[in-house]
Amino acid sequence: MTIGLRGARLLREPLVHFIALGALVFALFGNATSADERRIVIDAARIERIAGQYAQNFRRAPSAVELDALIRDDVKEEVYYREALRLGLDRDDEVVRRRMRVKMEAFGDTAAEIAPPDDATLQRWLDAHPARFAGEASYAFDQRYLGTDGAAPQAGLDLLRAGKGFAGAAIPLPASFEAIGAGEAAVLFGDDFPAVLDRLPLGVWSGPVGSGLGQHLVRVRKRQPADPPGLAQIRQRVDNDWRAAMAQARGERAYRALLQRYDVVIEKPE
Amino acid sequence: MQGLGKWALAGCATIALTACGGGFGGAEQPKTDAAVELAEFPERVYWGDAHLHTSNSVDAFGFGVRLDPEQALRFARGEEVTSTLGIKARLARPLDWLVITDHSDALGGTKALAEAPRILIRDPVMKRWHDMLNAGPEQSLRATAELIDARARNDLPKGMTDDPETQNKRTRSIWNDHIATVERYNEPGKFTAMLGFEFTLMNGGRNLHRNVIFRDGGDKVKTVVPLGAWGASASTDSLWNYMDAYEKGTGGRVLAIPHNSNLSNGLMFEMTQPGGGAMTAAHARRRALREPLVEITQIKGDSEAHPFLSPNDEFAGYGVAGWELGDLAMAEGKQSSMFAGEYVREALKRGLAIEAKTGVNPYKFGVIGATDSHTALATGDEDNWFGKHTGNEPGATRALSAQNLGTRQGRFGWHYLASGYAGVWARGNSRAEIFDAMLRKEVYATTGPRMTVRVFGGWDFDPRDLDRNWVRKGYRRGVPMGGTLLASKQARGERPSFVISALKDPVGANLDRIQVVKGWIDRSGATREKVFDVVWSDPAKRSPVNGKVSAVGDTVDVAKASYANTIGAPQLATVWRDPEFDPAVKAFYYVRVLEIPTPTWVAFDALRYKLKLPPEVRVKAQERAYTSPIWYDPAA
Repeated sequence: MTIGLRGARLLREPLVHFIALGALVFALFGNATSADERRIVIDAARIERIAGQYAQNFRRAPSAVELDALIRDDVKEEVYYREALRLGLDRDDEVVRRRMRVKMEAFGDTAAEIAPPDDATLQRWLDAHPARFAGEASYAFDQRYLGTDGAAPQAGLDLLRAGKGFAGAAIPLPASFEAIGAGEAAVLFGDDFPAVLDRLPLGVWSGPVGSGLGQHLVRVRKRQPADPPGLAQIRQRVDNDWRAAMAQARGERAYRALLQRYDVVIEKPE
Repeated sequence: MQGLGKWALAGCATIALTACGGGFGGAEQPKTDAAVELAEFPERVYWGDAHLHTSNSVDAFGFGVRLDPEQALRFARGEEVTSTLGIKARLARPLDWLVITDHSDALGGTKALAEAPRILIRDPVMKRWHDMLNAGPEQSLRATAELIDARARNDLPKGMTDDPETQNKRTRSIWNDHIATVERYNEPGKFTAMLGFEFTLMNGGRNLHRNVIFRDGGDKVKTVVPLGAWGASASTDSLWNYMDAYEKGTGGRVLAIPHNSNLSNGLMFEMTQPGGGAMTAAHARRRALREPLVEITQIKGDSEAHPFLSPNDEFAGYGVAGWELGDLAMAEGKQSSMFAGEYVREALKRGLAIEAKTGVNPYKFGVIGATDSHTALATGDEDNWFGKHTGNEPGATRALSAQNLGTRQGRFGWHYLASGYAGVWARGNSRAEIFDAMLRKEVYATTGPRMTVRVFGGWDFDPRDLDRNWVRKGYRRGVPMGGTLLASKQARGERPSFVISALKDPVGANLDRIQVVKGWIDRSGATREKVFDVVWSDPAKRSPVNGKVSAVGDTVDVAKASYANTIGAPQLATVWRDPEFDPAVKAFYYVRVLEIPTPTWVAFDALRYKLKLPPEVRVKAQERAYTSPIWYDPAA
């Protein structure tokens, strides 16, 4: 590597720009800085906060020596912070910019956190998004398993329809369900099975019908449509959903409000 | 035929809610664990993932994930989320429970490093990582790989380890937020959200990681913060002390689950104390008490059995390729002498040997599967696999690119398994019930498919017991998986009998066979093992030859990433009696269920992205379930 190349690379290094810029700023305005800008006050309230944070972490108050060290560190942080601002790091550093953006965005979230919704709000949310909180149908039904090929279903069907016993093939699943939800039926018999239960005539043995496990004879005794969910039963779920949506909407609103103050011009390359 | 039609993520918003497995129900919701209606005995299996990382994990964030615990919970319970790379994702079949286990060390640490003001980062290495984390996904991935590598070599910049105050402050704040979120999503009876973290203990590059899971809610758990595993004082003892103190201080309960023993280079299941010396009874007792389960299968390989240790088991070695080359960081290559301390079957045998010497079995554990996904998305199926981390979410290059941790070579994307899940036999879906089932080891592992597997051991089961009510009989006259058969209950001259039943995943592949894996310590004190085929599909055409049942066949069409359920059986059940029982020797029995061959996630990727795969790439496999063992103790 030649010296010239290294020098050119150095000139592209952002930190070098900052230092150069800082030197320039200092040269131009160094003496003009007001006394207030050069004054750092760590007041009693701030010290209490520092001590409080320590106590929260370590379950005890800091000793006098520790507190002094914490204060010294706080002063150091303030000095660096102000110098960084003076150097314009808040403007030129990609990461600082992004961090500040995240902080601004977080305001929306925080506002959502501190306003717990009342029942009326949640009820409105529930009414506005019925599909999201829809309950599920439930069923009472009997089933007999025939294995994968469903061999000779008619004999079994005749026996069952005549009210006689027919055990079917062995399978580690109940022969009767009294109130099984559609989701649970899908878990046990495969994703398409609730649709089968919806389709079959009530009160008679039908089949063979297919499941993810093979062929069955099935008698649906009762179909209970989904109850409209009451807020009391699913309050936490509605609250979670509302909260997530509010955080997002607030963020979007906050951004729109700020955006309105700007004239944005986007000049795409030809 | 099963094929791409089941790809249930990208387009599943159109699937009717009821068909997606009932993430939403209109029935009355109990508010507390106590209000959950309990069955008389465990009647159904509750599926979950006990090992999942989100953007709060130091490596997951670096690998690029921006999904937080709330998104992870929403996804697991069946709601649609948008993955970090912008793909809409929804789990076609929601889980019943979830434990988010972010790394305790530097909880939120990479995020903090990425967001820190650059000028305040003094350490040149940290400054470099800071820049890389902010320079796009590829650089971020590389920075994180370097970070893990440095961690494995105990070579992290001092600034990342020597500032406990800042770390503690950050940990406490993230932990409190995390607890609040998990509490909001825990819905007893419907979806159980449990509290936990990962204790990422390392010895060089050797993986000694544990997941820590609490039985309790936020009121108790917020009295502690996740215990760090970085630094010289971290050890299994420091973890167990922490657990003791938590239980003493709160009256709560907590357990730990080791994982990736396959990457420990022989250290996970040692015959000695950690660091050497004969294992003491006190240490063995503590281990057994604190670590009742082991994670046997997950994305970073399967730890059931290795062909080196089990040369007579033609099904050993599932998912060991790549991972068997060395430790987690590939800091140290593998010697074959290390396998015995890494694989679960051998550990169960070692447990008997140590028990013979000390009177206590340190490795009397049950098994679960889990994902260890770092995408905040708990996916375990071949056709919906979201990858180990955001760097290998679905995309054309993930299968064949090098996935070595750190800078060394040897592991590729296709070595990752789309594995696994845990099945829990509990009386209801609540923190207390799920946790207590884990404690009594009434749990099993699968490599992803949701097979229903039961086993009861007793002295007087016979085949007629399968005709009706066998579950009730199983509990009344025997012990379920995780239990111990007592010699004192043995009728004179009886051999132990096992009621075993397996039902295929209703949306998955048929079953090939059920096997019983027996391990014992013979009269000379040597450990032994044997695999028995106990029931299999198509028995008329597949008579055992020399004690082995022939292969089930293969219907996989790799080019179409499909298979057909024209072979195998949807369910298998039997009552099996140990033909070689010796009442004088200690033994364990666990069940392994094999599916017929199916295409792996790599085959789905090859089809989706038109990849040309080298011949060594694993494109099909027989997925499987492993139950927790049942032990026989002649002295009990």
